[in-house]
Amino acid sequence: MPASDQQSTGHDSPNPNDGTPVEEMSALQKNPERSKLPSGSMAIGRGQTAFSRRRFIGGQCAVLGVAALGNIATGSIFAVAGRGTRSDNSENPFAYRVDRFEQTDPKLIGYVEARRFKSPCAEPRRMAIGGDERIYLAGEKRICVIRPKGSVAAEIGLAAPPQCVAVANEVFYVGFKDHIEVYAANGKRKAVWETLEGNPYITGLTVAENELFAADSGNRVVIRYQLDGKIAGRIGARDREAGMVGFVLPSPNLDVETRGDGVIYVNNPGRHRVECYSVAGDLLKWWGKPSAAIEGFCGCCNPIGLALLPDGRFVTCEKGLPRVKVYNANGEFDCVVAGPESFRENARAGAGSTSDPARIGLDAAVDSKGNVYVLDRVTGNIHVMVPKAKSDGAR
Amino acid sequence: MAEQENRSAPVTRRDFLRQGSRVAALTGLGGVAGLLASKLKAETLVWQIDPAKCLRCGRCATECVLKPSAVKCVHAFALCGYCELCTGYFVPEPNELNTAAENQLCPVSAIKRRWIEDPYYEYTIDETLCIGCGKCVEGCHRFGNGSLFLQVRHNLCLNCNECSIARACPGDAFRRVPVSQPYLLKTSYSHG
Repeated sequence: MPASDQQSTGHDSPNPNDGTPVEEMSALQKNPERSKLPSGSMAIGRGQTAFSRRRFIGGQCAVLGVAALGNIATGSIFAVAGRGTRSDNSENPFAYRVDRFEQTDPKLIGYVEARRFKSPCAEPRRMAIGGDERIYLAGEKRICVIRPKGSVAAEIGLAAPPQCVAVANEVFYVGFKDHIEVYAANGKRKAVWETLEGNPYITGLTVAENELFAADSGNRVVIRYQLDGKIAGRIGARDREAGMVGFVLPSPNLDVETRGDGVIYVNNPGRHRVECYSVAGDLLKWWGKPSAAIEGFCGCCNPIGLALLPDGRFVTCEKGLPRVKVYNANGEFDCVVAGPESFRENARAGAGSTSDPARIGLDAAVDSKGNVYVLDRVTGNIHVMVPKAKSDGAR
Repeated sequence: MAEQENRSAPVTRRDFLRQGSRVAALTGLGGVAGLLASKLKAETLVWQIDPAKCLRCGRCATECVLKPSAVKCVHAFALCGYCELCTGYFVPEPNELNTAAENQLCPVSAIKRRWIEDPYYEYTIDETLCIGCGKCVEGCHRFGNGSLFLQVRHNLCLNCNECSIARACPGDAFRRVPVSQPYLLKTSYSHG
């Protein structure tokens, strides 16, 4: 008999003469169950591959399991190798650095946040403060009237998204993209003014005793209205022959304000300045300079919003480095209301990231006490900023 | 009774192996067919950057197998403000608004500035110089309209099976697009 034929198949009895190690034999002898045929299996002649089906399947499962685990492990390793640096973005050798401008010197901050509340409407754009100190907020498809503490006093539904709002005695004016509507204080619509021609995009309103001024970003002009809706004139239009460059607006952020003294104030973002016009349209003076530093207007096109303090000073809003600052009546930097550190999410949003540039940046309004209300269009928060000198009293 | 006996009859090794072979063969065929199908699909697609997802991380410049990278800055002129102070062109605090090297943001001076009329300037990209770092894109995106953005230029791209930039992209901005529409251009203020 060939030697190979004499080898045991595992379920044969051990043979002391076939070369099986003594230790193994003794183990088999100690545990005779191991030499029995497992249930459900059978011996196949004297073949050397006589596995039981259970053992075979078990072995296959084990192999597959190990392979799968190995695959997952190697996959993970490759994934880690390939993407290990994905989340680590701190080593960008080409990083655009404006970090040094994102933190405001505390000595320059002249206001403190007294309170903050969430805008009741989505996509807030601009706001105004009425004589009753209530906030009129334009957003979504409505005007929200908010009490100074943040509770909603009224909501007026609109047919289209409003871009801006201005408040006068017992009425308020809503600027839509291409026309203006007049509403009574109770929310009833009183008038719809004529749709503007050209490429209108109304983004700012201000009202004086007998006139209303609308900043039309699309046509790059401020429109002077009588309160019955008739157009009385256009201010700031480009005039090549007269050497008037006009308003430079890379994005639709023209704003207009007046104290009702025959002078209107308009931001000219592309020229980084605030311009003062007579109601007849004459450019009286301008101030402002481009700079990422705190005293200037940063980026390509700022300021994007204006508000007037009762004492003659100006409040300006910027995007990119979202910050709100105060300039004196001569246009000299006075103090910071809130710096970029107050609007982190707004800064991250970035101007080029949205389908609607009017939905980024900030807007500001001022109440009769000189408190500044800042609207963060990205987060929808309204920050109520009070001057530091009287912050304790306001709180 | 006979049926019960059949059910309890053990499977022979031969039957088991036969069935196993069939399953293995079918699985193999399916795998080959899938592989062929995916290969066929890959041939009609090319890599491109989704501008809406791009984080301007700089890896397009450092990870591409080509030096300089096949990724270049492109300009959507319809979105551009033609700003005098372009934040994609100038460093954040330039000394002067002129073309002096120290005022330029681009590390390789790949952006050309041309006066159009007061106060408007046109900015164009010299793709032979551009390394695809995205620094200008971040500047434009941060302050401006986002008219500058990055795209894989297919006259340069090797269309690697596994794009090395895509593997490193932290924003998962790389995706396969049909070769018939190989660019994801910006046509409005929104990306893509």
